[in-house]
This record gives sequence, structure tokens and C-alpha cells, in this order.
Amino acid sequence: MANGILDIETASRLRRFYFRSPSRVRGRKAGIHKSLYKGISPDFLEYKEYNRGDELRQVDWRLYGRHDRLYVKKFEDEVNLAWCILVDSSASMSYGEGGSQKLRYAATLSATLAYLLLRQGDSVGAGSFSGNGLSLIPPRAGNSYITPLLDKLESLKPSGRTALAEPLLKALEVFKQDASFVIVSDLLTDESEIEKALQLLKAAKKETVIFHVLHEDEIDFGFRGPLEFLDMESDEKVIVDADAIRDGYRKRIREFTERLKSLCHEYESRYVLSPTSRPVEEPLIEIADK
Amino acid sequence: MNFSFLNPLFLIGIAAVALPVIAHLISRKSGVVKKFPAVRFLIASRGDASARSRLRDLLLLLLRALVIVFLVLVFAKPALFSFAPAGSGGPKALAIIVDNSFSMGYGDNFERAREKASELIETLPDGSFGMVAPLVARGEGRLSPSSGKEALREGLSGIRISSTYTDNEKRLEEAFSSLKDAPGQTKEVVFITDLQKNGWQNEKADRDWLDIIDVSGEAAPANHAVTGIDASYGKDAVTLGLSVSNFSDKPEEQILATMSAGGEELSAYLDIPPGGTVLNEFTIPGEYISGDKSPGDAQDRPFDNDRGAFKEGSAGIPRDRLAVDDTRYIVLSDGDDFNVLIVDGDPREDARLSETYYLARAAETISEITGAHITVKDNESFLGEKLSGYDLVFLANVGDVTEGSAKELREFADRGGTAVIFLGERVRASSYNALLKDLLPAELIAEEEREVKIVPLPQPIFPKEVGERLSQVGVRKHIKAVPYPGAEVLLGLEGGDPFMIKKSLGKGSVFLITSTADTSWNNFSITTVFLPVVKGFLDTPGSANEGRRNFTVGDTIAIDAPAGADRVEVISPSGKRYVIDTGSAIFEKAYEHGIYTVRESGKDLYKFSVNVDPRESNLVKLETAPEGPDAEITPGLVKIYRDIWRYFLWGAVMLFISEAAARAVFS
Repeated sequence: MANGILDIETASRLRRFYFRSPSRVRGRKAGIHKSLYKGISPDFLEYKEYNRGDELRQVDWRLYGRHDRLYVKKFEDEVNLAWCILVDSSASMSYGEGGSQKLRYAATLSATLAYLLLRQGDSVGAGSFSGNGLSLIPPRAGNSYITPLLDKLESLKPSGRTALAEPLLKALEVFKQDASFVIVSDLLTDESEIEKALQLLKAAKKETVIFHVLHEDEIDFGFRGPLEFLDMESDEKVIVDADAIRDGYRKRIREFTERLKSLCHEYESRYVLSPTSRPVEEPLIEIADK
Repeated sequence: MNFSFLNPLFLIGIAAVALPVIAHLISRKSGVVKKFPAVRFLIASRGDASARSRLRDLLLLLLRALVIVFLVLVFAKPALFSFAPAGSGGPKALAIIVDNSFSMGYGDNFERAREKASELIETLPDGSFGMVAPLVARGEGRLSPSSGKEALREGLSGIRISSTYTDNEKRLEEAFSSLKDAPGQTKEVVFITDLQKNGWQNEKADRDWLDIIDVSGEAAPANHAVTGIDASYGKDAVTLGLSVSNFSDKPEEQILATMSAGGEELSAYLDIPPGGTVLNEFTIPGEYISGDKSPGDAQDRPFDNDRGAFKEGSAGIPRDRLAVDDTRYIVLSDGDDFNVLIVDGDPREDARLSETYYLARAAETISEITGAHITVKDNESFLGEKLSGYDLVFLANVGDVTEGSAKELREFADRGGTAVIFLGERVRASSYNALLKDLLPAELIAEEEREVKIVPLPQPIFPKEVGERLSQVGVRKHIKAVPYPGAEVLLGLEGGDPFMIKKSLGKGSVFLITSTADTSWNNFSITTVFLPVVKGFLDTPGSANEGRRNFTVGDTIAIDAPAGADRVEVISPSGKRYVIDTGSAIFEKAYEHGIYTVRESGKDLYKFSVNVDPRESNLVKLETAPEGPDAEITPGLVKIYRDIWRYFLWGAVMLFISEAAARAVFS
């Protein structure tokens, strides 16, 4: 069932939150986001002198009475926004069991977000990426669109390596209009790859939110004794004494997340660390309007 | 100093060092494989920890390997050794056996023996292993040598003179065999003794490992001793017989012998020839001979012997240099009435033709010495006879045996009586096999008539000289018998048939002689061996009934406990108390001589006497001293060992603690 990955309770608790684009967008339909176009929103924006072609109903006749000049009232125009939710379905996302599996967590987070976005009138498209591949369903609005989105997210199978830049290029081809990008990934790839992806998104002037999904083991490294670890994407093996390297590992993973945060800041993307132990509503609240 | 191992075979255990190494490698190579997404961070982190981890692993590996090595070394018993000249000056494995039999109480022999043993201990070369043990042990465990002189001194200080006679050679062999595992090339046993002839079965006694030190100081020590005391009961008096022996080559004149009993003291002066024994009887009249003397009443007497004014007595002579055997004790009891029943299956008017004529004469002759009471009955009288008052029953050609008499015989043997069954023409094999099946040591088959001789066999119940003369016995006719399992053939006939078979039954014994007690089938009863053999039956241990009250030091004594008592107490002459469980009712601590008291719930039940073995009183020495080992000492060098395994044990413990500490520090 597609509903399996949708956290209805969380979505219900978050129904009063709205997810707005921080910048103006070229939406086609009325929505909650500030449009680049001045419109009929009750929110007054500015006055401008009347020119031919302006709608007479927008003339501020009171002002004309005081100044004998025609001014047109400009109002904020709120439009809907397209969202592109991209979920990392590389092999490394299969780590964890049950609800704490990274891919499952990412799908739940994405499904809940998609549900909320559709409810607020935005159009949402979703897809997954691994290796250089991208599987995407196009954005659409309407509550009923949640079903194909959930089906898509439910059907994700982890495989391949984590790559960001190439799939993003493909996604940008689809989302040429104003759209915000949501990337849900463990980002266990080269930092240069991540930086390149962020550069692309910034160049395309896409608002971007990155949910960095990590399992608790990847953060705390609570293993004991000597163990042989097999990398889930590269098949690389390493034998380590977990007790001996725990501190070093923790230090390195902390540095990694700090660098990612810094990169995201640099490329004007929002970085949200989302450990699988964290309820999905918490990272969502972080990006919501409060 | 050189280094060696006393148990080098244990060094094989060094191979166990491979265990921690293998465990280490296994833990590194074949640990649990875990799929993990962020391996690149592990690889990056490994560099930091690897040096520390490697150091920790190597340190733990080293400590664990060393623990194993040290433990193996502990078992391998490493020892430092140096070489020293062999011989008396070199290290050796030495067992010092101190003769503590009571003959050593002569003069200051025992003290001198202790001094000599002490000298030997102090002069024992370094690196030697030794032990000090008494000749007469009181249930001590296995002899084991030790390397510390302190242990030897303790062993010597614990040796006390005993009142026991012993078998020297058995003990010395034990001592030598206990040196078997001791290190060193020279192993010898030093026996410090008075060299008394008694106690040596083999007079030669020359063993290359045995060194005898004679502390007697006299070539022919003289001793006189009370060697026997017995009682015989008359109608209104008790006659106490006192035997005094002179164990010297000079006559003893006017030795004052004193008998104390019932508050009376009787004395006599005795002249005893060299090596001779004089028997003197003291008759003590009085009303203490109470009750009927018939054997049948013996069982009805209460435990506190109701003989009247006295129950025990003692006899003494003036103390000489060996005082312990100058006094002897006696307790009057039913047990001293040794009652013998002879059942004549074929009595004749002319007594000489009776079946039991020779048997009765032999028993009467012996009774003159032992005081046994002889009763002869015919077959018919026997069938109604209660055997509870008898110690020994002879059946001679008894044809009629009823179920009742068979049961009576069985119960008699169970109680400790001895039954001796002679066969004859009146005996029907089938009837005996059916009625006396539980009693007979063998199944009777059929009469067999052929002239055969007795095959002499070494029998413990017969003196050596009897065994040698058994071949005099000719048997013309016998009943072929097949021994039952557990029965013991004591004498056989030519051709393989048994002549005398013994079976232990309950506390007693049953002897079956497959021929007659008279001369109709054999000449046994008119040979010189007949009397000793009959005496052997009287001396059979099981033949003592429950009333026996006089014993020898070292005897195992059956305690007569009243029905219903769980335990009784035996109080020795020195006042030591021993609790005896009536389940076994055996007292094995009769180490002192004197009068013992058996008590139950604070009430005296009866007394018994324990006397020294008179054989030990004869201090005649071995004519030829056994050769010592001096001539056998191997020339050359011997190793002086010094144990160091304890250091390795401590080392192993310290390493073990260090390993635990290292693990705690690195974790």
C-alpha cells in the first residue's frame, strides 16, 4: 500500500504549517508563494502611475481625488510553486532495519512533505536517483496526485552508487520553470560531487533543501570489538577494532556534516541533518513557516 | 648453576602458546562481516587508531603468551642444579624409618634412635629429598618424600613408641617404593632399629638400598616378660594362669610374680631357665563365680558381667629395662569359656571305636592349654541342641540333619561360630546338599575310593611345620565335592579333589573335610598334623564368640553393643574416648595396652583388655646385620636440584593481572 510510507499522524500535526519559497516565483496558479507578478492579492505592494493598458479597476481613485493623477495600486500576487523531491536510492540508503532504514525514512519524509505540499496547493514531482540515473514523475497539483507520488516513493529499490550532479542536470531539464528542489540523501559521495550539484542548483536559481539522512550507527558508531566492514556501494572491506576507532570516526563524520552545512550555506541551500532516529516531523518543521 | 626440568614432558604444553596467536589472527581475519555505508570514514579513522590498536594487540598477545609459557613451566618444574660428588656426601633420596615397636622401649633405645634420625636429617646434603616415618604407623597416609628439612623434623617429632608388633620388611619396602619418584640417583632407606630378630620374615634382609643402624647397644639384651594370662573357671573359684618368659641366655631366679584381681593380690616366686617360660596358676576362691556355668546360659547374662566382686585383673613382674611387657591384663568374661561341641554321628560303646575318639582326644589336649570346654553329643542329642553357647562345633559322620538343626548351624555360623564338618559313610550327599546348602562350602557328589595323599598347600591357618608334614596323611576314601563359588580349598588330594574347604559365613566359618574324623577312611587323625590342625580350628578368628574380652594391641575388635544403641563409647586406659557407631561396631584404635571400658549413655557396659604381643618381648637380635648401601653408591657426580617453579607460578599470576589491567586501560 502506498499509504505505508505516509506518516498520516505527522502530516496531520503539520497541517497548520506551510512550506513557502523564500523568493518570488513564476507560478501559474494562485497559491501561497509570492509571485514575481503583481496581482490581486489583498497585500498592497506599491503605487505606480497609470499607463495605457492598466486595468481601470486597479486605479486608486482616492489618491486621484487628492492628487489629480492616476495611480494604479499594485498588490502581491500569490502563486503556487512546483516542488521537485529527489530521493537518493543508492545502495548505501538500504542501511538500517525497518523504519530506521535510511531509504524508508527518506521515503516517509518525502511522502509526508509531498502530501503537505499538495494540500497547500503546490504541484509536486518526485523521483529517485542512484548512479547517474534519474527516475522522475512530473510535478502536478491536486490532492489526488498524492497516490502516484506515494506509489513512486514506495517502489524505490536501493542500488548503485550515490551521484548527484548528473541526475540533477536531468531533473533541471524537467523543472525549467520556477521550482524548489528537495534532495533527500545520505550524501555519501565525493564532496566535489555534492558541491557541483549545489552549484548547478544555484545557477538554475532553484531553491534547494537538502535533507541529510544518516542512520544512528553512522553517527554514533556503537559497534564493539574487532569487525570487518564491507562498504555497501564500493564493496571495499576494512577490518577495524570498533572500540579503537570510534572516537576518530565520530570526529570525521562530524566534520563531514559541518562541511556539508557550510557548502549548503555557501550555495544558498538549506541543510537539514535528518538522522533516522529523529521523527520526520522535526526536519520538516525546520523548513516550514512557523 | 645449570637449568633443567623435573617434568620435561610438560614442555609439550608450550605449543599452547599458539592459541592466543591463533585467537588473535582469527579475531582479526574472520570477525563478523558488517555491511556499512560510511566505510570511507572508517578507513580514514583507522590510521589514527591502528598504531595504538597494534600496540595494544601486541602487548595483550605477549602477555597472554607469557601466561601460558609460565604455566607450562610451572608444571614442567624447572630447577636449577649443580653437580656434587655422589655418595654419602652427595644429595640423595633418603627414607628414615624409626623402629617404634615396643621392643624399642628397652632402655633408651628409642631416644637414641630419635637422636640418630635427627643427626641424619641435619647432615642430609642440600638438594636431597627425604622423609621420616615410624615403623609402626597408625593409619598414616602414603609416604611421600619432601625436600625441606623442617618437614623431616616435624615427621620425627611426631613419632611415638607404640605397643605393637610389626612386619619390618613390608614397611621398609613401602618406604623404598615411595622414593621411586623422588629425584636423584641415590635412593636409600635407613632403618634405625634395635635389630630385633622378630619382625624379620627373611633373616637375610640384605637389600642394596637398605642401611640399618643398630641402636640397641647390647649384643644380647636380656628381657623377661609376662607373656600370657588366662582364666579357667571352677565351681567356686577362678584359676588365673600366668606365663612368665625369660628371653635371655641366663636363668632368672626368684622372680616375683604378682596377680591382682578382685581386690586380692597373690604372689609367687618363679625360677625361669634361659629362654624358658614358666606357668604359674593362682586360684582365687569366692562367690564371684555366680550363675550357672552351662554354655546355654551365657547369652542370657547381662552386659555388665555379673560374676561378682571382680571383672578384671592384672599380673606383673618386677620392671626390667623393657617395662611395657612386665604387666599383662585380663578381663573375665563369657568369651573366655571357649565351648566346643563334638557331634559323634557314629558313637560306639567302645569309645576308641567311636567316630570322634581322636577328635575328642585332640580337643581335650588343646583345652588343657586354652581352657576350652569340650562337650560330646550323639547325633540324636545334637538335633535338639541349641548352639548359642558354643564357639566351635565339629560334626563327625553325622547322618541325621534336620531343617531345625541346619537352621541352628546356620545361625551359629552367622554369629561368628566355626563349624567343622567331617564326612563318613552315614552322610547322604543328597540330604546334606539339600539341608545344608547354605552352610556347606561345596556340593557333595559321591563317595570315591582310591588311595591318595594330601597335596601340601601353604595354608595361613596352619603353622609352617604342619604344612610340611601334611604329606603323611593318606586318604583311602572320600566324598568328591565341588566347591561353591567363594569357597576356598585349603587342602587338596592327589587327583585334584578337595580335602578341606573353607567358607566364610556371616561372622563365622565353615570347614568341610571330605573324609572321616576317625581312621576308617584315612589316617589323618593319627598323624602328627591332626592336633595342630584341630588347634587351628580353635584359633580361627571367627570362632571367637561375642563375649571375647581379651585382645592384643593392634587387633580389630568387634564391640558388643546392646540392641537399640546407636553408638557406644570406648575409653582407652589413658582416658582417650572413641565413639563407635553400632552399625559397624568395630574398634580399630587398640594402640594402648591395658583395660578398656565400653560405655553407652554414661553406663559402663563391659571392659576388655588389650595386651602387647609377646613375640615382641623376645629381644634376640638378627645374627647377621644386613649390609648397608655404602658399597652400592654409584661413583661420579650427582645433581643438586633447587626448585624454581614457584617463581614462575607467581610470574604467571602477575602476568594474568597485568593482562587484565592492560585490557582495562585500552578499552
